[in-house]
Amino acid sequence: MTSSSTSSRKNLSKIACNRLQKELTEWQASPPAGFNYKVSDNLQRWVIEVVGAPGTLYANETYRLQVDFPEHYPMEAPQVIFMNPAPMHPHIYSNGHICLDILYDSWSPAMTVSSVCISILSMLSSSTVKQRPEDNDRYVKNCRNGRSPKETRWWFHDDKV
Amino acid sequence: MRNKEPVLDDGEVVYEDGPGCGWNAFEDEDVMQQTSSIHDDEAKKLPYVGDKEPLSSLAAEYQSGSPILLEKIKVLAEQYASIRRTRGDGNCFFRGFMFSYLEHLLEAQDKAEIDRVKVNIERSRKALQTLGYAELTFEDFFTLFLEQLEDVIQGKETSISHEELVLRSRDQSVSDYVVMFFRFVTSAAIQNRSEFFEPFIMGLTNTTVEQFCKSAVEPMGEESDHVHITALSDALGVPIRVVYLDRSSCDTGGVSVNHHDFIPSADDLPSSSGSSEKKNPFITLLYRPGHYDILYPN
Repeated sequence: MTSSSTSSRKNLSKIACNRLQKELTEWQASPPAGFNYKVSDNLQRWVIEVVGAPGTLYANETYRLQVDFPEHYPMEAPQVIFMNPAPMHPHIYSNGHICLDILYDSWSPAMTVSSVCISILSMLSSSTVKQRPEDNDRYVKNCRNGRSPKETRWWFHDDKV
Repeated sequence: MRNKEPVLDDGEVVYEDGPGCGWNAFEDEDVMQQTSSIHDDEAKKLPYVGDKEPLSSLAAEYQSGSPILLEKIKVLAEQYASIRRTRGDGNCFFRGFMFSYLEHLLEAQDKAEIDRVKVNIERSRKALQTLGYAELTFEDFFTLFLEQLEDVIQGKETSISHEELVLRSRDQSVSDYVVMFFRFVTSAAIQNRSEFFEPFIMGLTNTTVEQFCKSAVEPMGEESDHVHITALSDALGVPIRVVYLDRSSCDTGGVSVNHHDFIPSADDLPSSSGSSEKKNPFITLLYRPGHYDILYPN
């Protein structure tokens, strides 16, 4: 199998590097509420802690997001997945893949790591039930070769959750 | 042209009323590899911006097709000599505008127009700030476009030739950044006049103005229609002519080709152009359903 996996990614372009440096500075000055990122020496992969918002199903639960930046960020979307264990949520698969349009077709360079984080927390907060997507097992089986969620052709039906 | 992923050819059906998400499985890796290599080939066949071709090359496309289109192309040939194609990747309007505008500036060495447009660009920058966009999200795109404006003026160390302009417009790291610059400017212009654009947007998508900008203006590859063109033309103060080539015919029997001029409000018109030019935009794009190319007058 030759499906391109996340490990084959290229280094950040110069312009991507500059942009990420600026996002990092901005993040350190005002991190989005509920998120914690410990700066590492790897600008291309951020591991970000997220704490469920008070008064929601995920209150006080801590999860970790892994954000990988492609060579041509921000023209291309970052790859964002939940690390194991991923929160139980109707749009989050057990392998950590997140069904959220802004991570794929609706990504735009007008967004930032910070705004993506806020969208993900809002998706968690508005959930009314802790469960996996109905087709979780089939989807996860399909991704068994370490396929990136960016290679999935997603369909988005529900703006509310 | 929409070269967005074609709607699935490999079986899996979407849940229309599913509980949220859907996805399409690629059970067969070989099919997937093959499909993606076809897409790559298709895309690579045509650069972002092609070479200038005689208008006859347009007719050649329809040789065994619709007679009415061939008739219309004959009419078109009375006014236009050549066509420059753009890649059908959803960015063709912006890409065509980019090339056409910079080419005009380079050929006319129109410094007054550059000074004029810079004022509008700064206005767009302020508009984005006011709308709450973080500076870091758009500043690189603004910087890069402003550099292109400087570089087309000759006699400087950084000056570029026409040939170099063609190369840059085919270079992703320049071309896509300029396209994205226009997307930012367009988005700000729409949101700044949201009461004006709202009825058009509601008619198109039934979403809010802000949501429209987030989903149909700001992401790369989202196609443009009259809302985008009106907004960009107004924001930059640059008139744009769009010539329509489609199968429609009038009952009276005669074949004619329609065009529409997008004219920014009067005080924003390029000051350098004479009064006659005001009626004739220096940018002409050929629209065929779903796609824009560049046209050159005789």
